[in-house]
Amino acid sequence: MTKSLGLWMFRLTVACTLLLTLAPPVRAQDVLRILTWPGYADADLVKAFEKQFNARVEVTFVSTDDVLRERLGANQGRDFDVVAANTAEISSFIDRKLLLPLRLENIPNIRRQLPRFREVQSIGGIVRKEGVYAIPYTFAEMGLIYDRKQVKQAPTSMAAMWDPQYQGRVLAFDGSTHAFSIASLLLHGKPFHIEDRQFKAVVAHLIALRRNVLTFYTLPEESVDLFRQNGAALLFANYGSQQVKLLRDAGVDVGYVIPDEGALAWLDCWAVSRGVRNQRLAESWINYTLEPQVSGALTKRQGLSNTIEASALTRDTDKLIWLEPAEDDKRRASLWARIISGDAPGRF
Amino acid sequence: MKFGIGFKLSVLLASFGLLAMGIVGYYSYASSRATLLQATQRDLLTATQVLGQNYQSSVDEVGNDAQFLATVPVTGAAIGSGRGAATRSELNALAQTFEALLKIHPEYFQIRLISADQHGLELVRVDRDGSGLVRVEGLDLQEKAHYPYVFKTLRLKRGQVYLSDISINHELGAHAGVLKPTLRVAAPVFNGGERAAAVVVINIDLNRMFAKLKADLPASYQVYLANQWGDYLVHPDTTQAFGFDQGRRILVQETFESVSSLISGTSTFVVTNVQTPAWSPGGEVAAFLRLPFGGVGEGRFVVLGLSQPMSEVVRETTRVAWNTVQVILVLGCIAVLLAVLVSRAVTGPLRAMAHAVTLFSREQKVSQLGYRQDDELGQLARSLNEMQTTIVANMAEINESRGTLRHLAQHDALTGLPNRTLCDDRVQQALSQAKRDMGRLALIFVDLDDFKSINDTYGHHAGDLLLCSAARRMEGCVRNADTVGRLGGDEFIVLLASIDREQDATLVAGKIREALSQPFDLDGSRLSITCSIGVAIYPEHGADAITLSKSADAAMYLAKEGGGNRVQPVWFGAATPG
Repeated sequence: MTKSLGLWMFRLTVACTLLLTLAPPVRAQDVLRILTWPGYADADLVKAFEKQFNARVEVTFVSTDDVLRERLGANQGRDFDVVAANTAEISSFIDRKLLLPLRLENIPNIRRQLPRFREVQSIGGIVRKEGVYAIPYTFAEMGLIYDRKQVKQAPTSMAAMWDPQYQGRVLAFDGSTHAFSIASLLLHGKPFHIEDRQFKAVVAHLIALRRNVLTFYTLPEESVDLFRQNGAALLFANYGSQQVKLLRDAGVDVGYVIPDEGALAWLDCWAVSRGVRNQRLAESWINYTLEPQVSGALTKRQGLSNTIEASALTRDTDKLIWLEPAEDDKRRASLWARIISGDAPGRF
Repeated sequence: MKFGIGFKLSVLLASFGLLAMGIVGYYSYASSRATLLQATQRDLLTATQVLGQNYQSSVDEVGNDAQFLATVPVTGAAIGSGRGAATRSELNALAQTFEALLKIHPEYFQIRLISADQHGLELVRVDRDGSGLVRVEGLDLQEKAHYPYVFKTLRLKRGQVYLSDISINHELGAHAGVLKPTLRVAAPVFNGGERAAAVVVINIDLNRMFAKLKADLPASYQVYLANQWGDYLVHPDTTQAFGFDQGRRILVQETFESVSSLISGTSTFVVTNVQTPAWSPGGEVAAFLRLPFGGVGEGRFVVLGLSQPMSEVVRETTRVAWNTVQVILVLGCIAVLLAVLVSRAVTGPLRAMAHAVTLFSREQKVSQLGYRQDDELGQLARSLNEMQTTIVANMAEINESRGTLRHLAQHDALTGLPNRTLCDDRVQQALSQAKRDMGRLALIFVDLDDFKSINDTYGHHAGDLLLCSAARRMEGCVRNADTVGRLGGDEFIVLLASIDREQDATLVAGKIREALSQPFDLDGSRLSITCSIGVAIYPEHGADAITLSKSADAAMYLAKEGGGNRVQPVWFGAATPG
């Protein structure tokens, strides 16, 4: 009995070994290493790309700009082939020589993009004298949400948040960079480059905002709850169309406007790392993401606007101000912390 | 390798025993592990419920404090109850009350009185700072109207208490409370009118409160608290708490999937296991509870959870497993021993039988088997015993028959004398011997004269008796080494295997003739006969048996022709008369 079992095991081992030895060797494939945000490279879309280009794709997701910066910069960009980042980050990556100029002839799908995104020269930070460094992929603008019942005439400017008639019915975002940019813009200054002498006026303007708002929010769900529970009239949409959708899903009749002075907007672009192994494959990926089914999936699944279809909430003529690095984030943050903590004007 | 039946049987029985025990052991281990896990989960759930009640009653106590402060006259005086601004001493009196309360409650960060006017300007504020307390005054007082704990509390009715969401306190100047997880409890202060004129706010140190609550729990228990979206507020790994405060969501339902049913409100408690959260290799058992808080209808809640490292639970189950293994080892040894004994009991008698059969076939020695049990082996042993006895008896019978047959083949049935075959054989042997010794021998033919008439006269029975008597008498005339045989009818042969001289032969022949001529007493009738004898000597009358026989035969015929009753040697021309 023991002997026959041993023999049987031996045969099995031999059979397995043979099977393993006879299995075809794995064919070497091109590998594309993508560094991006969740939702920008869904598994099914990646699989379709792998099949079409006979390549293997390794996707690394990040959830903050800080991590993105660290991962790309860790090995002078050699760890990744293609990266998604907002315009401000792209600009800083170009300065740090982490990116390669793109060969636009390899990305024919840019012809599908809306005019706003085809005119790359107008998008600050992604074009240099060597050429175009990034292709816009998705964006979100920060417009103004208003309650159609309380606000009969759609506001045309962010200045409405300072309007005493809405005192205690305004919801603003608890974030220094955008608050300072908007205040500066409304005071006819540059949104991303506030000069020293202008700071005092901007701070005073923000204290005035604080005294006019109901409160400041940080999370989109929080903003929806605050809006509904407190009968708010105006909401600064830091998360853009996402908040419009959340409010409408919650049964609130809200309108959404891009103010005349322009809405701040972040724009995420694809760029090719300087450490790219196969530049053609990286450019093919960028081209692939501009296919209608891929860009469409981004909008359908993530609720983010893509660059090839016009959004239902914005018009082509709306002015969007693409985010750029602010003159001094730390200064804005420390001043904002004091403003929001309730420091009296006399303390500044 | 060659193994006996005993070994194979032992292995088989032991294997069955061990297999059965292994299976039983495994299932008892698995079921006790499941039972232990369930007990742990039940304990955890109970502990979580107790913790939840303690948490709620702690918060209620803070609410009572806030309510107390909102209604005491010293607070009314500080907001200037209907007679304009409060005096400095009135504000100081309230500040002293705040300080007294802060001293009793180390978990309070801060107590404030905040006006409903002047954009929520703080009127009286005492902060904890390190081990001491700080009174904040003048330009350092801040405007707080945009904080929910102010604008929501102002909307409350008398006797109601506001509980804030738990958050990190980013309000600058809050001393010890800055950047700390904070719960704010507030109560409205009324000044005669229907509208609240101010609010009293108590900031609570969440970590301190939970440290106090956790002190009653076993050290291995970990506490989790999450807000109504699932963001961690309290977590064993502090970097996982308040992720949203740094712009990233770290949600309880991502680690403990089943907690999503608490978030969605489909259940009020869950018990769950997670395999490997990063902060607890080996996994955790956890219980979570949905704890409503705030006003009725607000629908706010927190998710409170307790977990215990799986290693704690597993330690118990490992002990159970080890016990099971020990029991199996002991039982296994017993099983092996029993298997050996059982196979011995079967193979012992078998071996004895095999030995007996071997001995019997080799030495025809009967050995009685001692196995007396009345089972199959006993039957086999008895059958073997009987078989041996039967075989031995049969063998004896066969040997005896064979001896008889051999005697019958070589002897004359009537007289018992060697027959022609045996005589021929002996003649041949004697000739060979004589040739080797250069000796001589004699061959004597004896024929009874006129024997036929005796048969005719006295009957065959008398003839037979006569032949037997004659044979005995002839045997009496020769040496032991010599042979007397009957060739058939009344013819006899006498072989003298070794003689020295021819005369020795005629002497013997003469003795025979003399002996036979004596009267025979046959059944009462006396009767006398004579005989004719021919004598031939080797080597004189023939060198071989045939020639020698012919010579003796011829000599005997000569004697008969000469009238009988005489001895006729070959060398005499005529027979010698008696």
